[in-house]
Amino acid sequence: MKLVILGKGGQGVIFFSRMIAQAAIKRGLSVRSTEIKGMAKKGGTVEIQMKIGEGMSGLVKRGSADMVILLSNDIFDYAKTFGKNIFSFNEKEIQTAFASVPMRYVNTFLLGIFVKKTSLFECDDFMDLFDEENKKSFLKGCNYVQS
Amino acid sequence: MLTLYLSGNEAIAYGLVQAGVRFITGYPGTPSSEIIPAAQNLVKKKNIKAFIDWAINEKVAFEISYSVSLTGLKTAVTMKQVGLNVAMDPFMNSAYIGTDGAMVVVSVDDPGPHSSQTEQDSRFFAMAGKIPVLDPSTVQEAYEFAKRAVELSKKYSIPVMLRSSTRISHGRGDVKVEEDFISEPINVTFKTIKDWDKKLPRYAATPRQRLMLHGLLNEKIAEIERLNELKTFFSGDILIISSGAVFSYLYELIEEYGLEDKVTLAKVDMPYPMKKYDFSNYKRVITVEETMPVIELQLCTEGRRNGIVPKHGELTPDVCEEILERIGLIKKGKTISVPPLKRPSLCPGCGHRIALYALKKVFGKKAVYSGDIGCYTLALNFGVTDTVLCMGASVSFGLGIKKAFEIAGKDQDVVAIIGDSTFFHTGIPPLIDAVHYRVPFLTVILDNKTVAMTGNQKTLSDHVSSFGEPVTPIIIENVVKGIGVRFVQTVDPYDFASSIKTLKEAKRFLKENKDPAVVVFRHLCVNTKEGLDANPIYNVKILKEVCKGCKVCITEFECPAIFFSEEEGKVDVDKTLCISCGCCVNVCPAKAIVLV
Repeated sequence: MKLVILGKGGQGVIFFSRMIAQAAIKRGLSVRSTEIKGMAKKGGTVEIQMKIGEGMSGLVKRGSADMVILLSNDIFDYAKTFGKNIFSFNEKEIQTAFASVPMRYVNTFLLGIFVKKTSLFECDDFMDLFDEENKKSFLKGCNYVQS
Repeated sequence: MLTLYLSGNEAIAYGLVQAGVRFITGYPGTPSSEIIPAAQNLVKKKNIKAFIDWAINEKVAFEISYSVSLTGLKTAVTMKQVGLNVAMDPFMNSAYIGTDGAMVVVSVDDPGPHSSQTEQDSRFFAMAGKIPVLDPSTVQEAYEFAKRAVELSKKYSIPVMLRSSTRISHGRGDVKVEEDFISEPINVTFKTIKDWDKKLPRYAATPRQRLMLHGLLNEKIAEIERLNELKTFFSGDILIISSGAVFSYLYELIEEYGLEDKVTLAKVDMPYPMKKYDFSNYKRVITVEETMPVIELQLCTEGRRNGIVPKHGELTPDVCEEILERIGLIKKGKTISVPPLKRPSLCPGCGHRIALYALKKVFGKKAVYSGDIGCYTLALNFGVTDTVLCMGASVSFGLGIKKAFEIAGKDQDVVAIIGDSTFFHTGIPPLIDAVHYRVPFLTVILDNKTVAMTGNQKTLSDHVSSFGEPVTPIIIENVVKGIGVRFVQTVDPYDFASSIKTLKEAKRFLKENKDPAVVVFRHLCVNTKEGLDANPIYNVKILKEVCKGCKVCITEFECPAIFFSEEEGKVDVDKTLCISCGCCVNVCPAKAIVLV
């Protein structure tokens, strides 16, 4: 599977991507990825291209991604260059995330939503990857989708 | 065997330490900066005795590591490709003298370039210096080649380069690593061995002896070249030769397009030194490599020189598709145009922004601002940087440009802008020249006590080493005064009134004295935990009825936390980005930004 994960610096995009990678490795799949962090931290675009269970490099050609996970909706047009299947979070989900957990755990809350809404992984795949705070936030995200 | 999800830089660190490297120095530079911290973490975790820490610049880092290799230890030095330029003098010489322990020169290239000044190819410099170079294609190989580089260096008593690139160093993958870390006894034999006199002509070689050493180097290279084999994949009559990250893209594309019986793909682990091969069985031989024709020139193949491979830019999988199309192997689909992304800017609350804004206020837009390499290069966005060349050049440029105006008989304010780490790196020598020749320009040193741009590495102003041992902090003001600069003032840029006052004094000093002046702006980087914790909290709000929508706070100050609302025709504060530094209250001409 070819994935591209896009967001802004400071959103925890890299952590988000590493958790997905670790969950895939736990399932015995190969993972290759590449991280472009740009020059600025806050506000700059963070781009992770990832291949799970295929390929030799982590790079994903334009137009060939099986899924683009978008954590920052203002770069939608850029996201589209990688593929048609874009997974993004709606305004309500983002607001709930900010209201439910401290800012630095928003990414794991959103990861919970992502895992629940897609059938790529099970919540259990992630459980032993987190510290306590992240685990709590992640479960809140998972439960938000169920409720 | 263990399977770890490592970055290329972590994999390199793992390989080096596992192969017995116990001494690593370097200077931070994207995308090489994470190797040293990863190696530090590893030796701490494994309780291995080693020295792994940063040096003032790449030349010094190289010389320190190299001298240690002469005493019998296994060493490494890390840098980005432009850092290798700074280390070029010892680099070229080290091949002649050779090593006693082992030495790996890790140089990380940045085709694209994503965050560099040049797209230069470190392999080309290895060839120029007659130093063997290994070029990993995957993160797994980054680990394996790091170990191989140590072994090769040890075996032939020659420094070996490990060339990585952004895609390998900042790539990640599941890497299979050995579990054991062998502990070899560390034996320093320098000047204590019996036949020291015989060794001396090597360590302190005169030109005549250098000629002999050059001959010896050629013998080593010939031997290494003889053992350098190609690995081939697939079975077509068109041979494509590659190395590094590009090899993996080509491999994937050949499979994707089903070209297995049309193309033979050859992988080069060591792009220099290469021996001649018999390619008479192939219809065509083409080299596809990043970023200069290193293999292509040695093997005399098609490639960059006949226009099949682009001469600039990263060879991404998309570009590799175009190359295969140019060879006549595939018909590529239409190219997808990519919209530009928002340009990067200084972090909200960054002390550099308000310091440089004050500078612009006092010296005006007509002053010449020579910039340097660091976060503050982004002052380009709001008009406080006119030049950027390479590390330390801001001060040389300040000197040179001021002199040029003097010769032309014209008055011109000139300001050099440099960060603390860059000042130490290569900013001090030109300031010495400026004092000596009495050139009246201002050097602004932005001291945030960290190497911020490359991920907040420690600087020379720290009190403890990366291993928690006490170290002597180097005081910038003492260095500047020691050189002989007579006007040296320090100010916290968050104190805007003092900043303006100090800069006005500096301006007056420059007018009245024919001598350089220095102002140090000191404020901790807000991108570090210590910096953010220590930062004052001044909440701000926009008085909507007062805001005229002139956008001065955006165009002249460029804080990412301030945005313009098209509906209202006024600015607003993005609370998710704002860190409540309060600096922007100094900026609004209508006084619409106020403290809460």
